[in-house]
Amino acid sequence: MKDFTLAVQRFDPSTDQKPSLDEFPVLFREGMTVLDAILQARDYADHSIALRYSCRQASCGSCGMKINGRPRLACYTQIAELKSERVVVQPMDNFPIIRDLVTDLSGFFEMHSALLPRILRSDESEMENPTAEYLMSPEQLDRIHQFTYCIKCGLCTSSCPTVGTDSDFPGPQALAQAYRYTMDVRDEGGAERFQLLDTQHGVFRCHYAGSCSAVCPKGVDPALGIQLLKRHVMSARPPRAKGEGAKVWKKEP
Amino acid sequence: MRESRLMLIQYVTAAAAVVLVALHLLLQGVLVPYETAISFGTVLASYRSIFSILFLEVLLVVVLVHGFNGVRIILQELRQTLAWGRWVDLGTVLAIVISVGYGTRTILLAVLVGPSA
Amino acid sequence: MAAERIAENKRGVLGWINPHNCNAERWAYTFQRITGVAVLLYVLGHLGDTSFFVGGPIGAGPSESSWAFISGIVENSFGHLILVMVVLVVTFHGINGVRLILAEFGVIFRKPSAIEYPYRPKGLGVGQKAMFVGAIALAVIAALMAWWILFEGPL
Repeated sequence: MKDFTLAVQRFDPSTDQKPSLDEFPVLFREGMTVLDAILQARDYADHSIALRYSCRQASCGSCGMKINGRPRLACYTQIAELKSERVVVQPMDNFPIIRDLVTDLSGFFEMHSALLPRILRSDESEMENPTAEYLMSPEQLDRIHQFTYCIKCGLCTSSCPTVGTDSDFPGPQALAQAYRYTMDVRDEGGAERFQLLDTQHGVFRCHYAGSCSAVCPKGVDPALGIQLLKRHVMSARPPRAKGEGAKVWKKEP
Repeated sequence: MRESRLMLIQYVTAAAAVVLVALHLLLQGVLVPYETAISFGTVLASYRSIFSILFLEVLLVVVLVHGFNGVRIILQELRQTLAWGRWVDLGTVLAIVISVGYGTRTILLAVLVGPSA
Repeated sequence: MAAERIAENKRGVLGWINPHNCNAERWAYTFQRITGVAVLLYVLGHLGDTSFFVGGPIGAGPSESSWAFISGIVENSFGHLILVMVVLVVTFHGINGVRLILAEFGVIFRKPSAIEYPYRPKGLGVGQKAMFVGAIALAVIAALMAWWILFEGPL
């Protein structure tokens, strides 16, 4: 592939009236990712480009951004796969812009916390001072396994049409994690979560547009989790009541 | 009413509407030729058949409840203030009552009153 | 003001249409909304025109002259064209709606399981795209049938 143009959206809300695109010529090398290109522009052309990145291996979820119109991880997107001589990078939609490519994820994390993304059980003494493991079979793990891969990159929430208009909607990430914890056999908090989900801006404001699953880089498939969650919420019967979670399993001596 | 109940109503009316609207379209142009189906005499006869009257009333209620509930869902997503939510809910109920009322009025007048020129 | 709205960075209603996330389900969502509102508007109009069977909003009973009056207004080529389009959108909305009901009851998905790269989401894929295309196909067939019936002959 030849050398190409990288166009980076620049916008500082405290000083600018509207965003602009700054263009940088980038020297292409084999295996180059969008993150590599942005760092080349930042290191050699304009040190003031603001972006978030960390692991460079699609593991931390920091470098989510809109690349040629589609939400992607910059470290996980090869320049060659874009098949374009102009690569446009913009901040992810639906998150407030702090500066340039950096967005504010605090609201995103608040929505996630609000749906109780942890194991809720009645035996708090065992949870605080564990004497043994909780028993969970491989088949039971399989049912939630893919949803545990979420790296909270925000790409799904960025692509969701409902999040674009409804600021009370938790978003696909929070809802998929609500499903993950509700279906975890160790969890007994289904009833509490259902009360939060069965609201005017809860799980039923998802209309299965599926963009979340289309952009998820880790195969979490939040759309699947959310549709399966809707059935449970509609039945108003949580999978497990208090005391019915997976039992403590002590190994034989 | 819980949102899950409202969504259940949406799904039930959706399934009913698929069947009833399909039947309505078939009866208005496929099983009965279109020109005949919309003639004054045929329509009058349909208002003299209890099956037809009930069919039309149920179709009316199902389609309007489903439609206005759908619009309510779309409007709820546009703004998130408490006042907007309440006005949208009230507006939906009013819209359903008024439109179902108007349609039922048409059916009742057609059933109970004799034809004129 | 404008800068604040840009900084908030919400896609808004225009984000309901998004050509970059081209999965079939996203297009189906957009069309389902548009066709739903369109059908509702038609139904309200239909309530109005059928009420002329009993003389309209101020009528008192079945009236042949009133029915002839409204037939004169709606039974023409333009009115029939509207009907054909209504059949198109109603059929799409209904068939796609059935797909949505089945999906939102989780009936048409395979169970979640451990996944391997490259990730093929079970929530999307060939089945969903097929049903979406099927809905469009059935809608077009129904519209063609309506055209045949209303304009009494082939295209």
